[in-house]
Amino acid sequence: MIKSTLQKIYLGFILLLLYAPIITLIVLSFNSSKTRSKWGGFSGKWYTALFQNEDIMNALYTTLTIALVSALVATLIGTMAAIGIQALNAKFRTVMMTVTNIPMLNADIVTGISLMLLFIACRAFFPKFSLGFATVLLSHITFNIPYVILSVMPKLKQTSKYTYEAALDLGASPLYAFFKVVFPDIFPGVSSGFLLAFTMSLDDFVITHFTKGAGVDTLSTKIYSEVRKGIKPEMYALSTLLFVSVLFLLILVNTAPQDNVVKKKKEVGKFKKAANIVFRRVIPAIMVIVVVAGGFFYSSLGKTNASEQVVVYNWGEYIDPEVIDMFEEETGISVIYEEFETNESMYPKVQAGAVAYDLVCPSDYMIQRMIENNLLDEINFDNVPNIKNIGEEYFKQSKSFDPENKYSIPYCWGTVGILYNKTMVDEEVDSWSILWDEKYADQILMQNSVRDAFAVALKYSGYSLNSKDLDELEEAKELLMEQKPLVQAYVVDQVRDKMINNEAAVGVIYSGEAIYTQSQNSDLVYVVPKEGSNVWIDSWVIPKNAQNKENAEEFLNFLCRADIAKKNFDYITYSTPNTAARDLIEDEELRNSTTAFPDASILNRCETFQYLGTKFDDIYNELWREIKSK
Amino acid sequence: MARKLIDISHISKSYGDNLVLDDLNLYINENKFLTLLGPSGCGKTTLLRILGGFETPNKGNIIFDGVDITNLAPNKRQLNTVFQKYALFTHMTIAENIAFGLKIKGKSKAYINDKIKYALKLVNLDGYENRTADQLSGGQQQRIAIARAIVNEPKVLLLDEPLGALDLKLRQDMQYELIRLKNELGITFVYVTHDQEEALTMSDTIVVMNQGYIQQIGSPEDIYNEPENAFVADFIGESNILPATMVEDKLVKILGVNFPCVDTGFGRNKPVDAVIRPEDIDLVKPGEGLLDGVVTHLIFKGVHYEMEVMANNYEWLVHSTDMFPVGTEVGIKVDPFDIQIMKKPQSEDEEAVPIEE
Repeated sequence: MIKSTLQKIYLGFILLLLYAPIITLIVLSFNSSKTRSKWGGFSGKWYTALFQNEDIMNALYTTLTIALVSALVATLIGTMAAIGIQALNAKFRTVMMTVTNIPMLNADIVTGISLMLLFIACRAFFPKFSLGFATVLLSHITFNIPYVILSVMPKLKQTSKYTYEAALDLGASPLYAFFKVVFPDIFPGVSSGFLLAFTMSLDDFVITHFTKGAGVDTLSTKIYSEVRKGIKPEMYALSTLLFVSVLFLLILVNTAPQDNVVKKKKEVGKFKKAANIVFRRVIPAIMVIVVVAGGFFYSSLGKTNASEQVVVYNWGEYIDPEVIDMFEEETGISVIYEEFETNESMYPKVQAGAVAYDLVCPSDYMIQRMIENNLLDEINFDNVPNIKNIGEEYFKQSKSFDPENKYSIPYCWGTVGILYNKTMVDEEVDSWSILWDEKYADQILMQNSVRDAFAVALKYSGYSLNSKDLDELEEAKELLMEQKPLVQAYVVDQVRDKMINNEAAVGVIYSGEAIYTQSQNSDLVYVVPKEGSNVWIDSWVIPKNAQNKENAEEFLNFLCRADIAKKNFDYITYSTPNTAARDLIEDEELRNSTTAFPDASILNRCETFQYLGTKFDDIYNELWREIKSK
Repeated sequence: MARKLIDISHISKSYGDNLVLDDLNLYINENKFLTLLGPSGCGKTTLLRILGGFETPNKGNIIFDGVDITNLAPNKRQLNTVFQKYALFTHMTIAENIAFGLKIKGKSKAYINDKIKYALKLVNLDGYENRTADQLSGGQQQRIAIARAIVNEPKVLLLDEPLGALDLKLRQDMQYELIRLKNELGITFVYVTHDQEEALTMSDTIVVMNQGYIQQIGSPEDIYNEPENAFVADFIGESNILPATMVEDKLVKILGVNFPCVDTGFGRNKPVDAVIRPEDIDLVKPGEGLLDGVVTHLIFKGVHYEMEVMANNYEWLVHSTDMFPVGTEVGIKVDPFDIQIMKKPQSEDEEAVPIEE
């Protein structure tokens, strides 16, 4: 008695552990407050927002279309392959099974990169060939086939070859025998192969990431690109819906009546037969229709009739989607918009040239590197008259990475500084030294990125944050090691949430993020320390292989328009170099905020990052690794 | 009268280096129950599969009813097969199983229903139309497999060890069932088995095979009573196979003792093999037989006692309804017509199978 109670408790505990994350997710999807730690009351607004978000719905339908089509094609090819392999003699069968299993055991990232390389290599023969929907679909079919083979093979092995021969013997043609006799036997394997392929395709991130082209996003790549600005609650809603649909599918699969059950219970045969038809035919058919129709509907929404286009590659959440709509409406040029997460992930994609981007928005040091590697085209400023709205000082600042101001137009900029909570820190903060103050042990948040972390230490010691002096770097390393025990966490996005939720007292943060946090928690103060800091500029550049350079310049001109730049500022909250736009800000406090628009005295203390070359990249990374691993 | 229905000539078949059938010739008469009998690996199943069209011979051809069918696809042949493992279609009902071939032939619904009823009655399974295969016992499944084959009215029914998976009692029942079916349907049965008792019970003609060669063709009586070589003698029932010398016609010297026999034409002082069935040996008082020995083993087998008698350095296998305890001294007596003389094996496949302990 006690034993069985204990067993039940144990089981319950395990189930709870298993499902706790999903329960959390579901609860949060109904939380009307935007932060994760506060319950703001029950609300369905994220669900409404989800269905109104065209980007997400588009990604959802791309995902479903790719999953469905790739699973169908892979099932067809995989089943045929399994039959072929089964017919081989034992030696070749083992060889073939090993060969087909390798792609499945292979790391996704290897598969993804090799597929990308193959597609790029294809351009040697088809110069027009570019990464896009088709390449993602082909990749998904490729990695799905082994799963289908794997689930069909055991069923084929169980199926006696004699039933097939018996059918032939009774006069059936080989094809008729296959469909009438063999296929029903292996059908469970085929359908589980299909479902497996479908879920693998839904799940996949890595391979899609490497093989997708501009403007094609599946849910996973979409969600990933949003992570930079924190996951939006719409995503909780979407994940909840996905979980519920998978649950529903599973229940369907497990409760769908089996053939022999129908026959055993003849008295309820009629009803069961009808139910069977519903389960086996109607529901899948409806799913297919919804997905295909939805796909067409959303893809038609996304396209304008114009054949003119511009391919834009930008940071996640780095433009107001309405701006794109407005541009498309005004000019008839359709914008194919893709997002990246880091400069480092953007660079190889542009360099590989698998997708011909027309407009990219990298940061300062990366622009320098792209110029050095001859990846950029000069901008024809005659086509961008609105450039007059950009403050002269920002072009001056840009000279550190674009010495002749030929390649880039500043888009957003900001500083790196200290954000502190004045209820937890009594003193006036004006120095990086607070990050080494033992009073705030376990209350300090550091940026988890090598250049940002070293910038703090180098500046604190009075050196340049682009230092190439090994002694200075060693000193900075020692400082960071000394600081490590005091640090609560090395984080990227969570600085924002943790500071808003009073989970830490001090943190290193970007000024744009600081503006947002201050709007959520008025106790937060942002300072650029007196020792100086990093000022960064993200600028638009046009890659050498751009196909629509004039459209890109037209889009640039549009972005430089005062009202548009103001709209973007409202959305992104990062400082704009567009002085005309700044004048349009109604909120006086914000317009004069030193956080958003630091005055010259602050800027003079700051430096932009420069590209240090591969040798120093390696040295920095090595030192950072030493710190992190200690 | 007996018409030649299938003529198999010069058939050879090998898988890689493994020669399974070597230049095999055989004809099958209409309305006969012919059994291919031999140990596993002797090529009997391969021969059946060649007849069914599931294998193509490397050499030779098969004439069926005057037409060369060597390369004809299985679905075009006028014969049907009953497979060893029944091979019923598990996702169909019994009725659908039986109707399978008829539907392909485009028969009418009424015709098909009649045939299903008729076939189920024939195999004593009326009323099983709506069951599925997994609801039936092994014997029932086998009868359905037969019903499914015979509704197509084939000229020849091929049966590949159809009773192999059944237990003894069921197997015996099914043997009678098959004989009855064959007589009612009046078609040719080609039956493959390794079970000599099954072969002896049912067949009109037995073809004994070993290592891809036919060893002997004959009626069950011929095969049993007059095996042509040591392999056949050994494989069909139990035997004492003794090396012997043919002294002259009707006199053979076995283990140094002269035995009168009825065989002639082997020459004088020629080495031969002598076969004596264990039930043909009479145990008598010592001195009253041709040689004396001592009983060394005794087992009760139900119908008879099985004994081993050591005489002249040879363990004689003896079946008798009389019991002689171990240690009893006995005399061995054999009637001349119970001694079967065979020429010495010419090749490996004609040799007796070594007893595996």
